[in-house]
Amino acid sequence: MDVLGKEGRQAFGLRSNSHVGLLLFSLVSLILLLSSLYAAEASVFKKARETALEAASPVLKALSGPIGWAQDRIGDVGDYFRVLEQNKALREENAALRQWEDEARSLRGVISALQELDVYKQPPEAKPINALVIGEANEAYAHSMIVNAGEIAGVARGLAAVDERGMIGRIVDVSANASRILLLNDIQSRIPVFVEGSFVEGLLVGRSTSRPTIAITMLADGDKIQPGQRVITSGAGGVLPRGLAVGVIEKVTEKEAIVDLSAEYARTRMVRIINYQFPQVEPEEADAPPADAPAASAPTSAAATAPAPAATTRAATAPAQAAAEAAPAAPDEGD
Amino acid sequence: MSSRAENLARIARLAAPTLLGFFGVLLLASPLRLFEGQVATPIIPLVVVYFWSLYSPGHLPAASIFAIGLLQDLLSGGPLGLWPAVYLAVQYVAISQQAYFLGREVHVVWMGFAVAAISVSIMLWLFMSLMSATLLPLGGLAMQMLTTIAVYPLFAIAFGDFHRRVIIEV
Repeated sequence: MDVLGKEGRQAFGLRSNSHVGLLLFSLVSLILLLSSLYAAEASVFKKARETALEAASPVLKALSGPIGWAQDRIGDVGDYFRVLEQNKALREENAALRQWEDEARSLRGVISALQELDVYKQPPEAKPINALVIGEANEAYAHSMIVNAGEIAGVARGLAAVDERGMIGRIVDVSANASRILLLNDIQSRIPVFVEGSFVEGLLVGRSTSRPTIAITMLADGDKIQPGQRVITSGAGGVLPRGLAVGVIEKVTEKEAIVDLSAEYARTRMVRIINYQFPQVEPEEADAPPADAPAASAPTSAAATAPAPAATTRAATAPAQAAAEAAPAAPDEGD
Repeated sequence: MSSRAENLARIARLAAPTLLGFFGVLLLASPLRLFEGQVATPIIPLVVVYFWSLYSPGHLPAASIFAIGLLQDLLSGGPLGLWPAVYLAVQYVAISQQAYFLGREVHVVWMGFAVAAISVSIMLWLFMSLMSATLLPLGGLAMQMLTTIAVYPLFAIAFGDFHRRVIIEV
């Protein structure tokens, strides 16, 4: 194993006596590090990241092709050995899904009847953008994915990304033809969530492990959370739509609840970016509560998705309108 | 004409370690997912930086290392300047220990790499923990570094062969 042996000691390669360069660049990177910590969202750094994303995306796209092909071949071999147990699991899942199908069909009838009502207002439709995963950050403390859809396809910062299992993350950087998704388990990820069954709102905080936690801030409600309850996005803040599947509560401690994510990042190949626009309050109804207030009051109905905030908004603005109509009458009385 | 081709070949040979570093960064940024995501992608640029800093630092100047690290930061979305600092620290250690490691057996150099990788992990963990104000889990980082240490001999042999046959071939 004497690969680079003793005889190579003199002849091997170029010697560098430039400690100055090493010192200089170390200093530059330390200054860069400190300044990027101080102003992480500075436009210079943002622009640099987006430019690098755009420049690297064709290369990453070219690389991901053969990688995907090889993974499929290896996956085929793996599937061959697990075919029996997979078949059994699929059959069970199919039986469960059939029941859900029945329930969904009857619910569709109920909903279409409700939509006939006068108070119903059509929520803005979400326009999903499909994209392929062409890259991901394979670092211990950075969890993100790069997808091949960008500004041209309509992707914008802050939008939610889901795969077939549930929510995977949020768009943080967008270039013309590529964008980066910050995954839910990254230490910078903060997502407003809602726990079904216990009606608790919280923030899902990434912990750089496979299971992020919900920081329980409303201490009074924290003890209602039970393992097994479903976690969905709450829609608070008005950026993410309400009702995207996030995961299931796995364990509850005094200060936090650990969430088992529905997403399996090692299997995510295709994502759907949800171009969601929060129902806007009309300009003349300016006295209405801010846009995130209806979302905060929405948890009264667990199954409520987008229609609920719209309806609540309308109900809440009615008194304001009445007040506005009454106001001009007052000066007349003074005369 | 032929002198121009020779010039080009010479430049390509000089730039080869830097390009290998960039390629390692691209591999790190691609969805490789070895063994269905069970095994973390090894940090090939770390091997490149350590190897050439030890055997031929003139082929991998500090500017190249800075560029490799910066590209990694830009693609992973982390704080800019973190990986350049890490890689430059590795180069500093490698160059300062060069007199000891040169001419030693491969497994001694391998141990040196393991020590460097572990120090780097501690640096990274401390920094990221300070940044996020919590004690971050060590598991993922440890697994990735162990994978990198485990694959080091393979890459060192390949790089050594490449260096002797291609880069310094006259």
